[in-house]
Amino acid sequence: MIGYIFKRLGLAAIITVLAVTLLFLIIHMIPGDPITTMLGPRATPELRAALEERMGLDKPLPIQIVLFFTNMLRGDLGTDVFSGRAVTAIVFGQLPYTLALIFVSITWAAILGITLGCYSAVNRNSLGDRLAGILSVSVIAVPAFVVSLYSLLLFAVKLKWFPAIGAGEPGNLPDQIWHLVLPSLAIGLSWVGYIARLVRASMLEVLGEGHIRTARAFGLPKSWITYKYALRLAILPTVTVIGVGMGFLLSAAVFTEIVFSRPGLGKLVIDSITTRNYPVVMGSVLFSTLIFVASTTLADIINALLDPRTRKGS
Amino acid sequence: MLKNNIEWTKTGIDRRHFLKGASALALSTAAVGMPQFANAAGNVLKTRSYADIRSMDPAFSQGVVDEEIQGAIYNKLIQFKPGSEWGWQLDAAASIEQADDTHINFALRDDMGFTNGFGAMTAEDVKYSFERIIDEKLESTNKPDMSALDHVEVTGERTGTIVLKNAFQPLWSITLPYITGNIISKKAFEQAGGKIQTKPVASSGPYMHKSWEPKQKTTLVPNPDWKGEAAAFDEIQIFHIDDEKAAEIAYEAGQLDFTRVSLGSVERLKANLPANSTLAEFPSLFYVWVGMNLDNPKLKNIKLRQAIQAAIDVPSIMAASYFGAAEPSTGIIAPGLSGHRDQSLTGIKANLEKAKKLMAESGESNVSLKISVLNKSVNVTTAQIIQANLEKAKKLMAESGESNVSLKISVLNKSVNVTTAQIIQANLAAIGVTVEVDLHEGATFWGLGEDKTLELVLNRYSMTPDPYYATSWFITEQAGVWNWERFANAEFDKIHKDAQSESDLVKRDAMYQRAQDLMEESGAYKFITHEATPNVYRNTIVPALRPDGLPLYRYFKKD
Repeated sequence: MIGYIFKRLGLAAIITVLAVTLLFLIIHMIPGDPITTMLGPRATPELRAALEERMGLDKPLPIQIVLFFTNMLRGDLGTDVFSGRAVTAIVFGQLPYTLALIFVSITWAAILGITLGCYSAVNRNSLGDRLAGILSVSVIAVPAFVVSLYSLLLFAVKLKWFPAIGAGEPGNLPDQIWHLVLPSLAIGLSWVGYIARLVRASMLEVLGEGHIRTARAFGLPKSWITYKYALRLAILPTVTVIGVGMGFLLSAAVFTEIVFSRPGLGKLVIDSITTRNYPVVMGSVLFSTLIFVASTTLADIINALLDPRTRKGS
Repeated sequence: MLKNNIEWTKTGIDRRHFLKGASALALSTAAVGMPQFANAAGNVLKTRSYADIRSMDPAFSQGVVDEEIQGAIYNKLIQFKPGSEWGWQLDAAASIEQADDTHINFALRDDMGFTNGFGAMTAEDVKYSFERIIDEKLESTNKPDMSALDHVEVTGERTGTIVLKNAFQPLWSITLPYITGNIISKKAFEQAGGKIQTKPVASSGPYMHKSWEPKQKTTLVPNPDWKGEAAAFDEIQIFHIDDEKAAEIAYEAGQLDFTRVSLGSVERLKANLPANSTLAEFPSLFYVWVGMNLDNPKLKNIKLRQAIQAAIDVPSIMAASYFGAAEPSTGIIAPGLSGHRDQSLTGIKANLEKAKKLMAESGESNVSLKISVLNKSVNVTTAQIIQANLEKAKKLMAESGESNVSLKISVLNKSVNVTTAQIIQANLAAIGVTVEVDLHEGATFWGLGEDKTLELVLNRYSMTPDPYYATSWFITEQAGVWNWERFANAEFDKIHKDAQSESDLVKRDAMYQRAQDLMEESGAYKFITHEATPNVYRNTIVPALRPDGLPLYRYFKKD
């Protein structure tokens, strides 16, 4: 198992380096002058040259990439050209908001989705199963931005139950949780349906297998068979999907952060790309890549822990 | 013609709101005890800025977003006067007078001081604040606004003289009452190493900086050391909401007390204004125009440029792109400012007969141009207008006998720009010119000035309340930098230079009018609009706004 974990971590490191290098190249290839955007119309040629030098933009691209990785290993991601703040401080200031949003969204979606999926599988073809099926497919079909806008209009504008903007007062946990309700509803809702359908299909497959029939023949309680034997195996593809899903939730978070005017990594990436704030773009992109790679690696490791065949196969 | 401070006020509950409230109540019975976000009330003013702050150092702040906060936490010798006409009032100065063209004497009030123990405000602070902006070593991006300053002479603890290198009229309309006029504490800044970033080291205004949550909000609280009229609010929370529609939703959800709204929402808000709210429309200083690159061989023919000027129908653009909430402009200088023209040379409505005649005179054929645009969607009304124009254009094309004339127009990706570009496309189709719309996102668009192959461009510049700021971008020296049309005119350059120091206001007014005539005569410009600033706010507050609708938070009051 330890060998498997090391192999996965090594692969994760290679993926991160390749992804970040590719993104570095893409960001520097898109047209637009970062110096003009950053300094505004009043900048003198001397000021422009000084900033270009400070940002390292006067150096060839391969050198810039090497410098980026060298500095990154020292924990230095550069400074934001506008505010002069360290990029690491900026990213770490925004990261908790995005992580909280993603974690809460996927957690409630997984709890509800798995419960719904198990119920449907155990009560196959019942009215409840059919209703759960309709509900699941319906929420899968509704894009996150539609849920965002309608939940805002209903729960924030009309009923005024939840706040429409912001992330709550710093240090006030109940207020911050309150501000998370609508955004996490918006990006978690479609995952409820997706996870429910996935769990149902896996459960039905596992429930039809020989060892489950044997357990039934031995007269084990139904709940014991469902949750201890069947769900443990049926959950494996769901864990993988949730791991990959973290990446998709990151992109959904971008839109949600804009609609709800929440701080976060997504909003930071968008703002810094539109202003060609390269150090902040790279810092944000690096951490987004790390979240994605870490979540998929973690899903692989959990899979291997739950199912020994996985690690043997690899 | 100009809509000036038009207000729609709604108080109390009408039938529609009663029904809305009743249905909301019915829905909410299922969740008794659910907390509700009432309108921001009490002593907290909740408002919005369209971008996050960049710098709290007046030498490096880049415009209104920073200045809205700096204006509340720092003092200036003079401040903009809230109201419908541009003017200034005393702030930290007990008196200020222009002794001659290059000398301005001032005396500070004796009750001005800085927080964090940095003591009373002195003339040394004024000297330090102004002279650091022109200091080469500091590399301030706001140096041009202080360009006329030679030095500040300290004549007493609280008295001094601003000495200019030459007469400079914008001193009273930009330099002193805007960003560069903020007075900072010499001691505090020197202790901080000469410049600061986003955290002020000492405040002197009625409010002081409490916190900045990046990408979220800035909070101001009353300055306990302030000796002037007491701050009206216990807290001012300025939320960073870049999208106007999101801000409107936040306002309707009761989370904002004051916000600018989009022009597209004005009609809806007039018809269905949230309870206890006022919608106020202000003219804006921004200017929007279609520029033609004079260095592009396709646009060398002045008759072709004049035909394009004549063919663009500004009223259609006002109706479709600005929803009737903005007025056509006559130049780059807005109404209310010195140099504003009552009429443009080329008129507002399209003159297709004239345009066709000019096209024939130009002898042009096979012209294809590109208009660059900033990329967003279009609305149905616009599409219908375009359709109607295309029908007309098809007919005229057949009559004109012109063929294969095509141009490209570069545009920034906002719906208003896309709509405008498409109307221009339809207008020019009517005289046989095919226009390709070239859409750009912000950073790409703002780098187009260097592109020598640029053809048509739909552009929009911000403005401060002095005509010098507008003409400064179109001088020959700026060609290929911010003068994207590469307009070069010696008379224009001379007017720009001389008008800065012209103290005869009537003469100055005429000079700037002539400058705009020259721009238009070149055939490189078709002026579109100055846009508008619609604001919505609770009736529980009394906003203090500049004539262009921008907030002066230090003067906001409770009703």
